[in-house]
Amino acid sequence: MPVIELQNLTKYYGKHRGIKNITFDIKEGEIFGFIGPNGAGKSTTIRILLNLIYPSGGKAYIFGKNAVKNSLEIRKDIGYLPSEVNYYDDMRVFQLLQYSQAFYGNENPKKMKELAERLDLNLNKRIEDLSLGNKKKVGIIQALIHSPKLLILDEPTGGLDPLIRSVFFDLLKEENQKGVAIFFSSHILSEVQSMCSRVAIIKEGELIKVESVENLIKNQFRKVTVTFEGQMESGFNIEGGKKQEWEGNTVHLLYGGDIGNMIQTLSRVQVRDLLIEEPSLDEVFMHYYEN
Amino acid sequence: MIFRREIQRNLKGLIIWTLVIGGLTILNLMMFPDVAKQQAAIDQLIKQLPQTLIKAFGMDKLSMADPMGYYATKGYLMIILFGSIYAVMLAGNMLSKEHNEKTIEFLLSNPVKRSGIITQKLLAIFTNLLIFNLLITVANYIGFKMTKAEFDMGVFLLLSIAPLLLHLVFASIAFLLSSRMKKSRNIVSISLGLVFVMYFLDIVSSVSGKFENLKYITPYEYVDAVGIVINKSISTTYLGIMFAVIVISNFFAYWIYQRRDIAV
Repeated sequence: MPVIELQNLTKYYGKHRGIKNITFDIKEGEIFGFIGPNGAGKSTTIRILLNLIYPSGGKAYIFGKNAVKNSLEIRKDIGYLPSEVNYYDDMRVFQLLQYSQAFYGNENPKKMKELAERLDLNLNKRIEDLSLGNKKKVGIIQALIHSPKLLILDEPTGGLDPLIRSVFFDLLKEENQKGVAIFFSSHILSEVQSMCSRVAIIKEGELIKVESVENLIKNQFRKVTVTFEGQMESGFNIEGGKKQEWEGNTVHLLYGGDIGNMIQTLSRVQVRDLLIEEPSLDEVFMHYYEN
Repeated sequence: MIFRREIQRNLKGLIIWTLVIGGLTILNLMMFPDVAKQQAAIDQLIKQLPQTLIKAFGMDKLSMADPMGYYATKGYLMIILFGSIYAVMLAGNMLSKEHNEKTIEFLLSNPVKRSGIITQKLLAIFTNLLIFNLLITVANYIGFKMTKAEFDMGVFLLLSIAPLLLHLVFASIAFLLSSRMKKSRNIVSISLGLVFVMYFLDIVSSVSGKFENLKYITPYEYVDAVGIVINKSISTTYLGIMFAVIVISNFFAYWIYQRRDIAV
């Protein structure tokens, strides 16, 4: 039985498109990435899963139960980390966590302390005094503390510094080893690549592709900028480079082949500067549209 | 859980409103012995007031020399008007604060039913208003005792229950608005507008015979002190209307909120 099953899930806000005919499954124990630019419909999909909004069409099931009709039961076993964490300003961190736990009929002060220590968070601080990153830490603890069977994370790393981010990823991997499925929404490709086994790519409300990360990496290409020493002949060509654009003695291109081959090609000429970057999501999507 | 939190969160407001309004009613009643002593002079003064003003405050039917009449035209007015302001501010913010501050997303991601949220928030509103009215009644009782004049306990109790009903009516309407609308500011503005417009309509209906029928739509008429003091009862028609408004508003609040898309 899939943990999450979406069948032609559709949501319109009046005439505005939210999502259109989204269909995919998340298997048990899987870390599943959900990737797309801002406004693509990631949060809309997640809000339907939590029954914050009602679908206009299609069905969503979690643990085999209908996400609209059986939401209360479903939410007992979900940990949710929203992209923007908003809590009651007048509470202290531990009070907020106790308040949340009371809804689950579950109190676990030991786990609260442990998680707070690992994330380096002071439980006695007032919510209103917390920075964005620290609020996110409260959100992480709140999502994990009742030992859910499914974690739904909506752009979870925003505001976290690199150190805490790696602690967070460790926590996720530990949960996953216990069999917790993770639905990981993000617009940062590299994050999803390092965490997930499969990803769904969404753009403008429509599902473009569900693909294993392995395939995604195979098709991976890089944004390369080379600045040559002196004027180059415009005939110079890097094999496997797409969309070459010259600007004086600088060339911008998308490179999809073996990085080693490109470096060998470049070693034969005088290079002043070389920049190899991960392409932006838009460029990845361009690639998917072209195919 | 939610109920307990709302009681705690609104405690400060409850204390302040109770102290201010309770204090004002006591102060007002403390002035009664002096007013009663100078009855002749005051009657003279009142006669010189424009007829419409006298009617508006019910001074044509009630005597200022009687503590109940005095209270009905002064302290009672304060309780029904200011108390209604408190009621709509309390009820209008109860649910919409979660939406304004976007904490509703957190609340609803926990295993809690939307109907459960509504029930607990409504209970918190009703509890606050009940305590508020109880304490005001106690303050009033002390005030009346201090006048050392005799008064009808039955009428006193009616004049204590009537404002509670009025506050519940306005609170229910404000809460209904918050089941659909997002911004506290708009909800409170509309319901405060309603509180004042209805009061204005009540005055118009009591001053001018032409607009007498307006009295059926303004809840102030339902709890009008003049009627209660003279008839020693609250009209069953009015009781029925208030009861219906409270039940229907809250029913629709549940109905609407269950179906609402929660966008933060």
